[in-house]
Amino acid sequence: MSKIEFDRRDFLKVMGVSGVAATVAGCDMPSYITSEEGAEEVIPYLSPEEFVIPGVGVHYASTCLQCPATCGIRGRVREGRVLKLEGNPKSALNTGKLCQMGQAGLQTHYNPDRLTKPLVRKDGALAEATWEDALALIEEKTGPSSGLSGGRFAWLTGTISGHQSVLLKAHLESLGSSSHFVHEVINTRVWQAVCQDMLGQSMPRLRIDKAKMVLSFGADFLGTWMSPIHFSADYARFRSGEDRGMLVQAEPSMSLTGANADLWVALRPGTEGVMALGLANVLINKERMDASALPAAALELINQYGVSRTTKMTGIAGDRLIRIARHLKERSPSLVLAGASAAGHVGGYQSVQAAMLLNILLGNIDQTIEASGDFALPQLASVSGGTSDLSRFADAAGAGKLDAVFFDGSNPLFAAPNHLGLTEKFDSIPFKVAFSQFMDETTAHADVVLPMASALEDWGTHVAAYQGGDHEIAFQQPLMEPIYPGTRSFGDMLLALNSMRNPGSYDGLEDYYGYLQSAVGSIPGVLKGEDDEAINVSAWNRILQDGRLQMPVDTRAFTSNLSMDDMDVRDADPAFPYYLVPTPRGTLYDGRHANIPWLQESPDQISKVVWNSWAEIHPVTAAKLAVEEGDVITVTTPDGVLEVPVYIHKGIHVDVVAVPMGQGHEDYGRYARGRGVNPLKILQPGSDAKTGELALYGSRAALAATGRAGRLIKMGNTETQHGRKIVATITAEQQRRNEGDS
Amino acid sequence: MKVEAKTCHEQTHRPLFTWTRMWAVLVLAGLLGGLSLSGSSSAGELMAPPRVHTPPGAADSADEPLGPFPGVVAPEGTYEGKNVEQPIEFPHDLHADTNKINCLYCHTYARRSAVAGIPPTSKCMGCHNVIATDRPRIKKLTEYWEKGESPPWKKVHDLPDYVRFTHERHLKKFLFDNPDMSVERVDEVCALCHGNVKKMTVARKQKPLTMGFCTRCHEANDGPFDCQKCHK
Repeated sequence: MSKIEFDRRDFLKVMGVSGVAATVAGCDMPSYITSEEGAEEVIPYLSPEEFVIPGVGVHYASTCLQCPATCGIRGRVREGRVLKLEGNPKSALNTGKLCQMGQAGLQTHYNPDRLTKPLVRKDGALAEATWEDALALIEEKTGPSSGLSGGRFAWLTGTISGHQSVLLKAHLESLGSSSHFVHEVINTRVWQAVCQDMLGQSMPRLRIDKAKMVLSFGADFLGTWMSPIHFSADYARFRSGEDRGMLVQAEPSMSLTGANADLWVALRPGTEGVMALGLANVLINKERMDASALPAAALELINQYGVSRTTKMTGIAGDRLIRIARHLKERSPSLVLAGASAAGHVGGYQSVQAAMLLNILLGNIDQTIEASGDFALPQLASVSGGTSDLSRFADAAGAGKLDAVFFDGSNPLFAAPNHLGLTEKFDSIPFKVAFSQFMDETTAHADVVLPMASALEDWGTHVAAYQGGDHEIAFQQPLMEPIYPGTRSFGDMLLALNSMRNPGSYDGLEDYYGYLQSAVGSIPGVLKGEDDEAINVSAWNRILQDGRLQMPVDTRAFTSNLSMDDMDVRDADPAFPYYLVPTPRGTLYDGRHANIPWLQESPDQISKVVWNSWAEIHPVTAAKLAVEEGDVITVTTPDGVLEVPVYIHKGIHVDVVAVPMGQGHEDYGRYARGRGVNPLKILQPGSDAKTGELALYGSRAALAATGRAGRLIKMGNTETQHGRKIVATITAEQQRRNEGDS
Repeated sequence: MKVEAKTCHEQTHRPLFTWTRMWAVLVLAGLLGGLSLSGSSSAGELMAPPRVHTPPGAADSADEPLGPFPGVVAPEGTYEGKNVEQPIEFPHDLHADTNKINCLYCHTYARRSAVAGIPPTSKCMGCHNVIATDRPRIKKLTEYWEKGESPPWKKVHDLPDYVRFTHERHLKKFLFDNPDMSVERVDEVCALCHGNVKKMTVARKQKPLTMGFCTRCHEANDGPFDCQKCHK
């Protein structure tokens, strides 16, 4: 037999022929796994609605509850299952757009770790119980015969609004209590307080679309600040106009908004207000802007922050400061925003105040900051949360002032820094009831756990804290039947709790749906029935189809009260030379989405890391520590230590280490548990003097290499294009020369 | 040599080189072909012919294909499906053949949706409130209805999840857009893929419904050939 000569060419021929052979055989090979006859059941509808066609989706409007912005959503429902969520085009807030957190609402709903049965603590451990037993226990401890009254009872919730808020207040009143702690880690409370004090309105409309320049002190309005989807649409108009808007972002660590900016400025944490005053100084003294609108005290303060002092405190070069000021003057109207990294310091209020002062100096009030007016029905308005309520709650619990606490929509034991000692204080409360969809850090410490329906299975009304053009009540309606029959609606529970305290108070109503219909019917002119009809059914159906009810806006002009306090910038502690910045991300948010695989696996906006925590440090810091990407370092504050791999990035201040929020759960289901670290835990004590908000961005840390090498799991392996010019770039210096910029 | 794989059923076999080389080519082709089909089963199993795939013309006499109607080339291939035990032995022959009820009367979604749909139980009861109420099968159906349940029918015709087949589009082409056809003859269109259901009691799979079956028909009837038309 001759030797088989087999070269590369023949090999390719073989591959070709075998490919054809494989495909040909494959084409007629039935799939035994999925298409075997009789392997699956197909159960028809019993008696379907006329418009229901199997295989064809029907869209229902509802409201997204993945973050407090309450965007309108539309769910595609097929064969009784919700399959896809998109934005509701009729919602004035998000005009048909939806972020990744909203899209992932499906995985909250279909999550395999949902609670399905009530749990009651017996002999120290939570054990399954019936609803009757659980409610009987609640009646025993908090019912009329319990003797519980006054401030010894409290509710702890996340941001709440609409009729749930009305019923919750009614329940508190029935107990004679006014203790409602509203906890939200990512919040805008300081901004709201400044607006309220200086303009007389806490939530003015911010017209990014009308501005020619936006200067943002850490306001991540494209990612997590206030109402990101609404601002993203405004931002698109801001950028696409004839005169393309200019965005300057100054913050300690680059956010999504920072990554989109024309100029990103690394700012020493806590000096946002100093930079704002420094800019005001340049505008008045160098650019000769009219400062007659400012009171003498403010001018005096501004005069103290000349360029050299500002440069020294903030770390920003003087010529850069002057250039930004010049742009602000030329590009009028502009808009100055201040977000979490400006507000999260002991002097947070003053920093935000300085930013607002800059707006007043630049003449932005009534131009890009518009009066909005109060919501027409104040009892439905949003009760926005903050972190000051967390420390107030910890104080109340620690002082033994609480006998019973109900909590919903918030996970305080995960978010509370170690220095609050909340876990022990929480455990000392005699009776704790969790209304929850999941077993999380707080739920695990409760005495009674009541499994709640998901946001896509429940009724509700919501009023956004930040309203878009129109004021509206957003309607939440079930997109499908509850997956687990053992879960109950939060609204139904509120009705039951109220009936428990005041028997007979809601007797005429079958359930929360009935309550909502009658409550909305009582708003004058909304559901006015014709003739003797109690409510106008077609008007009600129209509201549900739109997912919203527009309310009249009574715009109220701004009042102005221009007081100004000096900055409170703390000096660095030589033992802890770095600032620890816990960064919020529009994926895991404050940690509530850590149990959603879609969001865990979506690469981080800056580092591209998935499923893990990382510490972002500047290359200079990395060189000092002699670490490379993926190496594990320790981040030490006086309140604790984290061990975390590093990500080296230039988009961060050299003295800052940034660890994203959201990971480090001890409980919270299979996808979240034991993954990454929680930077909130090791934050140092301190709070803004004016609002009491925790100084989340004011902690100091020491860094040390552990000597352990690791590897970050992330999308894309390289930060450079290796000279391939996939995206053409020029240096900033070259750009400045080309543009003839000063 | 130029090997073109334009369609799946097109098989190019020509003696190409020396016998020695050919031997090597065929052995390797067999091995690689077998391996590329599936990673989980052994090559021996895979090279065996498909389980009950019978050549054209070997169908049993009760399932004679309906005559080809105008405007279509019937796809080749038959399949001897197994008897599927259903909660109620539904007689298709009695409804569609003896009583001449149009397929689309019960499978009404076929013209509007990707799926033909099993008729809602309320539709069955619309007639069987009064018709044949003493028969055991109807009694069983009434029991389900009174319990507020639908019978858990077993799926006979199913496609893998990575295939998007739409009834609506096929009915449009072969029936509603076909000037030579009328809606009374819809059973002939259904029969292209479902066999002569009119002659069956409980439906049985009569056609292979494999990709080869689909592509042969698509080629013969100028159907679309882009991968993503079906594999979305």
